[in-house]
Amino acid sequence: MYTERLQILVSPEQRRRLEAAARRRGESVSALVRDAVEQHLGSVDPADRLEALEAVRGMRGRYLPVDELERLVEGERTGP
Amino acid sequence: MTFFVDANVIVYAATASGYRDPCLRVLEAVAAGRADGRTSPAVLEEVWYVERSGRAGRVDGLAARAYAIFTPLLPVTDEAFRLALEVRGSGLGPADRLHVGTCRSHGIDTVVSADSGLGGLRGLRRVDPLDATALDRLLSEGG
Repeated sequence: MYTERLQILVSPEQRRRLEAAARRRGESVSALVRDAVEQHLGSVDPADRLEALEAVRGMRGRYLPVDELERLVEGERTGP
Repeated sequence: MTFFVDANVIVYAATASGYRDPCLRVLEAVAAGRADGRTSPAVLEEVWYVERSGRAGRVDGLAARAYAIFTPLLPVTDEAFRLALEVRGSGLGPADRLHVGTCRSHGIDTVVSADSGLGGLRGLRRVDPLDATALDRLLSEGG
């Protein structure tokens, strides 16, 4: 739910580009700006980032040298 | 300062070796917002392949966790691809070239990677996770 009102100033050129982009996408300028905020800041909050870090810390993978990692990725891409 | 994080740093943060602690330091600094380490969908795709292969042991969910730490990802754009095609004089494969192009398109001049192949490229400095001095300096420069 959107409850916070944010008033910003943009240049006439930025306004023109925002409105043109919104028309192309078939949505409002507000929706476009909200989407840009998500793209710029990411959609994960700080607590979830730290939780993800703890999950990585708890993993116990097996070391593969860099060249082996690269061969593995190439092999997975091309399939069996 | 903004730096690029290569796939091996993410994988090594989850695997047992001498790389683990320094690579975890990178992820910790990014997750806590103390460092502006960025990565791309192309990098996370590599991590995903490693995870899915099962050959790097128990790293289930690593790509998703890395996404949560690094979002928003750097877009791999038309310009990034063009710049990747212009990478000259190295034995780099397409994936690494695309990472270099992504860095250049976003004005990033430092990459953290255990891959020595990313060293010696014009305008791009590689920081090896095992180089404690360089890593300390990079992470202390903040986000």
